[in-house]
Parts: sequence; C-alpha cells; structure tokens
Amino acid sequence: MPRIVVNYVKYIDLISAFLGRVVMYLVFVMIGILLLGAITRNILQMPLSWTVEMAQFIITGYYIVGGPWSMMMGEHVRMDLLYDHFSETTKAKIDVVTNFCMVFYLITLFIGSISSTMYAIQYGQRNFSTWNPSMVPIKCIMVFGIFLMILQAVSTLFKDIAKVKGIQIS
Amino acid sequence: MSYEAIALTMFGGMLVMLLTGQRIFAAIGFVSATAALFLYGNGAIEMPFNAAFKLFNWYPMLTLPLFIYMGYILSESGIADDLYGMFHVWFGGLRGGLAIGTIGLMVVISAMNGLSVAGMAIGATIALPEMLRRNYNKVMITGVVQAGSSLGILVPPSVVLVLYGMIARQPVGRLWLAGAVPGFLMAALFVLYIVVRCKLQPELAPTVSREELDMPLKEKLALARAGVIPFLIFFFMSGLFIMGITSLVESSAVGATAATLAAWHKKTLTRKVIESTLRQTLGISCMFMWIILAALCFGSVFDGIGAVRAIENLFINQWQLTPWQVLIMMQLSYIVMGMFLDDTAMLVIVAPLYVPLIISLGFNPIWYGVLYTITCQIAYMTPPFGYNLFLMRAMAPDEITLTDIYRSVIPFVLVMVLSLILIIIFPEIALWLPDHFYAR
Repeated sequence: MPRIVVNYVKYIDLISAFLGRVVMYLVFVMIGILLLGAITRNILQMPLSWTVEMAQFIITGYYIVGGPWSMMMGEHVRMDLLYDHFSETTKAKIDVVTNFCMVFYLITLFIGSISSTMYAIQYGQRNFSTWNPSMVPIKCIMVFGIFLMILQAVSTLFKDIAKVKGIQIS
Repeated sequence: MSYEAIALTMFGGMLVMLLTGQRIFAAIGFVSATAALFLYGNGAIEMPFNAAFKLFNWYPMLTLPLFIYMGYILSESGIADDLYGMFHVWFGGLRGGLAIGTIGLMVVISAMNGLSVAGMAIGATIALPEMLRRNYNKVMITGVVQAGSSLGILVPPSVVLVLYGMIARQPVGRLWLAGAVPGFLMAALFVLYIVVRCKLQPELAPTVSREELDMPLKEKLALARAGVIPFLIFFFMSGLFIMGITSLVESSAVGATAATLAAWHKKTLTRKVIESTLRQTLGISCMFMWIILAALCFGSVFDGIGAVRAIENLFINQWQLTPWQVLIMMQLSYIVMGMFLDDTAMLVIVAPLYVPLIISLGFNPIWYGVLYTITCQIAYMTPPFGYNLFLMRAMAPDEITLTDIYRSVIPFVLVMVLSLILIIIFPEIALWLPDHFYAR
C-alpha cells in the first residue's frame, strides 16, 4: 500500500481513538446533569428548565462523535448468517464492495447536516422550549462527527483492501 | 411502480444488504437513502439527517446509554456474579436448576434495567459459560438466556414501554405496572417449561454435585444478601418514578448512580471496571443509536409512500375484519416486520397508525402496550432476522453457533405466544396491578 494510505489510516485511527476516549466520559456528565435536575426540583424546590434538554444535546454528541471510534473497534453489529461462514479474505472482499454503500449513506447524512447547519446559522434557529437554546452548536458538532465518520469509513475501506491483498497496515 | 412493488423492493434490498454482512446501520441507511433519492428526487438527500433530529426529540432515548451503563456496572463489578451465586446454590440441586436460576437472575436484572441487552450481556457472559462447563445442553441454555433477557422490557422499568407511552400518549407509570404481572407470569412459564423438559430428557441438564452445594444454612442465607442491592436499586429507580418524585429520564440517572454506589460499597469499583464499563457503554450505545438513526430514515421513507395507510384500508374496508381479527392481524404483521426491523423503528412506522385504530375499536391502550411489547420481543427472537439473535451471537462464547441460537429459541417463542394468548383472553393479568395501584 502507498505510504500516504498507511499514514492516513494511522492518523485517522488515532483521532477516532482519542475522541472515543473523550466522549465515553460524557455518560457521567449526563448522569450528573439529570441528578442535578432531580435534586434541585425535589430538595431545593427550584426546578431547572434546561437539564433534560442539555442531556439531549450531550447524548447526540455522544453517539455521533463516538461513532467513528465504535466503527474502528468493530462494535457495529453485522448480520452474520452467511458472513460468518466466509474466509477472512472473502469477508474483506465483500466489505470492500459494501463499504462504498456505507460511505454513500454517510455522505447523504453529511450533505443533510451541512444544509441543516447553514439553515440554523442563517435563521438563528432555536429549540422550541422554555430554555430556548440555539441549535447551532449541536449541529456543528454533528457535522464534525459525521465528517469523521466518513474519514473512518474510508480508513476501514483501506484496511479491507489491504486485507484482500494480504497485508497488514494497522 | 405500485406501492406494493416499492415496499417489496425496499424490504428486499434491505435483506440483501443485510445478508452481505455489512454493518446493520450502514445496510439500512444505504437502502433508505437510495430509496429516498429514487422516490422523491434530490430534495430527499436531507432525509437521513432529519432522522437525527427525530431521534434528538425522543428525549426518553436518554435512558438507553444509562441503562446500558448500569447493566455493565452490575456485571463488571461482580454484583451480578453474587446474584448468580445465590441462585446457583439455591437452585443448583434441582434438575435443570442452573437454568431455573438463570431465569431468576434475569427477573432480578429486568427489575433493575429497562433493556433486554443488559440481561443478555450478563446471561451470556456469566450464566452461559458456567452452564456449559457443567455440560448443560448448549441449545437449551442459549434459549434460556435469550428468553430470560426478553423479560427486561416487560418487567419495569422498560424502555420499549416508554416509547410506546410517548406515541400512544399513555402514562408510563401505568404501562410499567401493567408489564409487571405478565413479566412474572412469563418467567413462571419459562421455569415450568424447563422443569418439564429436564424431567423428560434428564441428559440435557446434569445436576450439580451435593458436596459442592453443601454448606451450612447460615451461609446459604448470607448469600441472600446479594439480593438486597437489587432491591434497593429497584426502589430508588422505579419506586421513586412510580411515586412521581423523579421524572423518567432522571430515574435512569438515579439507577445508574445507585448501581455505581453499590459497586463502590462492594469495593469493586476500580479504575479498570469503570474504564471497561465506559468503553462497552459507548460501543453498545453507538451501535443502537446508529441503527435507530438509519431505521428512522427507513421508516419515514416507508411512511411517505403511504404503505401503512394502505394496510388500514385493507383491514377495515377490503377484508371487513372484526375488531379481534384486526388485532390478531396487527400482531402478526408486527412479527413479520420485526424480523427485519428494529422495534423502535417499528414503533415509529406502525404504532402511530395502529394505536388510534386500537382505541377506536374499543381496546384498552394500556393492555395493548403490554401485548405490543411481548409481540415485539417475539419478533426480535424469531429467525432468521431478529436483532436479539445477532446480539446473542455477538456476546455468546464461540462454541455457540448461529444455528444453535436459531434452534434454541423455538420452544421459548412458543411459551411466549402462549403467554400472549393468556393475556389477550384475560386482560386482568396486565390491568389488575395498575388499576389497583392508581385506584387508591
């Protein structure tokens, strides 16, 4: 494989791994925020209006930005009724073809996220609620996460191509 | 192309994509994005991303990572091992006792967690290897773990009933209570099945030797302490919610905190446990959320072609079905669709249409929620395409093949169908507890 491809795979995997390590702690942040909401309402008698919505923003960032990491780790379950019976090389061959389908889907997601973010910036879109927060930050995070997901999908594609050729690049 | 042809092509395409072994989210996402572009033109390129905001607005999804987190804390910190140890000693002497104990373990896990995946993870990693080591028949025990874990969404708390409650506009507290008795009934039927089966074919389940289980009564009772922690977690999580003190998503955070504190109290909350819990939580949550994201897009494309409205027309106007026949057709259609679809996606596509129809036909929506949940779980477990089957494959030890898993679920699916029929004939099984509790 060309050096540039090897380096691409190496650095994208490093970025995905780093982001995965960061976002996995967001579970604690979600728990903390929700507990805060429960405590302030029941014990301090002063309900906060933003806790659940804030947690919604966090979970969205959690699964979108954590997506590339989980793909790299092979966490996305496959239907292995037939797949399981193939040899490693055959699996890689099929994956090379179907990974293009994955990249296609991710690109449609990406285009949608860009246009949705442009809209949010242009019209100053806010979430319809008491707290009424701007939707721009979360949409930017989603664009970022989906973009990385594409980069990781391409990295996965390179790895599968390498596997077909019988070489190890990561 | 006619609607039927489009619907068939979409399902067929998804099936082929799934069979290639591509990641499920990518397979579903690709088919929906392609179908959207093909059917509605370039403007539809935003449909996949719009699903992300549908998912964003489903705030009860917040309970998902928290319940997963909790499930892993319980298994990684050894709380689940203690529980299994308790059931092991108490039931080990009986023929098929470990399988019965596993069902007991699953009931307790279900009362602490609102997803079936947690029970499955615990069953597949703790109970399965132990039973395999003791030469239990692998097909039977695989079925036991799957059937037992299905109780997770029936015994309160339940994430599926939460989503149903949102769509049907029914109070979640009532739905949760309605699921409790049917959950226990189903567990009892599973146990009954295991007892009868092991009586007929003793070779399936060798008994554990007396010496191993022989311990003073005092020690046996000491093991029961393992049951205290689950009870406290259940009280703080579901109890406070049903009493109206915490909101739904808050209660899952309380549950996660309670489980963490319990692990800390047990002195097993090490850095390693936290680390691996967080990793696995992120992995499983991402897997679920991405599948739901893709399935939501599939749902809206499918909904857009009006396939569902055609079903209503078909049932009421063309086939002239009676209310009961409509109900049975609906359950059957869930099972067929559930072979392909994630149950949350199924809920988005079908429930908004089915539920008003159910209410207008004079059925009780709370009772229907319980039927819906059991049917979903059956659909989830029905070969060849059930999500639980693949999850099980992902978690079980390597010697258990997909074929074993397929064969293992058949008797348990029949038991579940039996409980479904019982609840249809005697709605009181589901409705007695919520009616009684809220009447006061």
